[in-house]
Amino acid sequence: MAATKKISLSEEDLVRALKGQETIAIQALYDMYSGALLGVISRIVQHSEVAEDLLQETFIKIWNSAENYDSSKGRLFTWMINVARNLAIDKIRSKDFRNSSKNQDIENNVDFIDSQKRLTFNADTLGLRDLVTALKPEFNDVLNMVYFKGYTHVEAAEELNLPLGTVKTRIRMAIMELRKHFN
Amino acid sequence: MEEAKAYIETGILELYVLGQLNALEQLEVEEMAAKYPEIKEEITAIEIAMEHYALSHAIQPTSGLEKQIFERITPATTNTTAKEKPEAKIVPLYNDNSASTIRSLRFALVACIALLVISTGALYSAHSSLTLANQQIASLSLDKQKFASTVSYITDENKDLQKIAAISSDPTWTPVKLSGTKISPKANLVVYWHKAGHHVVLDNTKMALPENDADHQYQLWAMVNGKPVDLGVFDAQSQPKKLLVTMKEIGNAQAFAVTLEKRGGSVNPTMEKMVVLGGVTI
Repeated sequence: MAATKKISLSEEDLVRALKGQETIAIQALYDMYSGALLGVISRIVQHSEVAEDLLQETFIKIWNSAENYDSSKGRLFTWMINVARNLAIDKIRSKDFRNSSKNQDIENNVDFIDSQKRLTFNADTLGLRDLVTALKPEFNDVLNMVYFKGYTHVEAAEELNLPLGTVKTRIRMAIMELRKHFN
Repeated sequence: MEEAKAYIETGILELYVLGQLNALEQLEVEEMAAKYPEIKEEITAIEIAMEHYALSHAIQPTSGLEKQIFERITPATTNTTAKEKPEAKIVPLYNDNSASTIRSLRFALVACIALLVISTGALYSAHSSLTLANQQIASLSLDKQKFASTVSYITDENKDLQKIAAISSDPTWTPVKLSGTKISPKANLVVYWHKAGHHVVLDNTKMALPENDADHQYQLWAMVNGKPVDLGVFDAQSQPKKLLVTMKEIGNAQAFAVTLEKRGGSVNPTMEKMVVLGGVTI
């Protein structure tokens, strides 16, 4: 599909269209965010076919439960990414998925996916590599465990053998760095 | 301001955006965000940063996926995905049921209205016949009262007539004819006297006295050894209620007289107002 055909709407229009059950909302959301959602889903479930199934489920769920989204509580993307992440986490914790993927090392999700799929970064996200190196690895690791691996921050604290307060601080520091970088 | 700043520094807003909080903690953050605009702004800034971060880690899905999603959400293509989504089949079935339920309810409603109209008509007609019947009953009972009083009057009259007949043929009763005096020569009256039983009875059928007014009444006197004795008062009417009027008792009298007195009677007779007088002849 050509890049010129991609639809982009303002946040307000998107929310209105989605709540009004206009299919253009899903088209726009897909064009704008399918890659970002799949990026998160893929890193949690690793398996690209399962990830795409989950992406599909994510959009169906966004479509069907649009009335549950409350714009006063946060941005649409935040709600969408939480829907995607929860579906992915439910999947990896389900019995049949765990049985079928025992042979894969769950610790190395991010590296594994990145090497397998050869991540195609958008052209306009210049300087990401600079960012990755600019972030202190110990800060970024905690954020990535929560954002990309499906850990809760409590689980991350246990995994890294750190106090919960430290984990919270590191997440905050990492996001502050991101904000500096993107703004 | 200080509270908001301290709240931002706890790092709870980041956990909120990352979906790491339980429902209660989420509610707390949402209340704080509603209270402090700077907290709301901070949340939005975190969200935007995370959006950029997610976009920079985007993985493009394979091209067929978009179409699959649209097929599943577009109502026009519901049939093609019916096998995948059994609820798609259930929905129209459910709608059909409700439609038929609505239709039968509509029939029921129409039937109810028709029944109501008929009932109202019947009630109205019953009400008007009942009113008519009530009126008839009222007039009938009025008639009945009239008849009853007439019958009782006639019965009394009949009884009195029989008594008069009995008195006339009974020798123990003495009829005393009182004739008019100078002031009323045409007046006359008959008194029946039962000497042994001391009874005195006036016969209204044989009375010819001028009608008395409301202030006066006739008074009957017995003359006993030259002295008048009161035997009671009576009215002279053109249509008397009773034929026979029982007066006070007396066992001995030489004559009877009637004077016109004030209503209720007098102790002594007003002799100049004497209308009739008659001696007893045995």
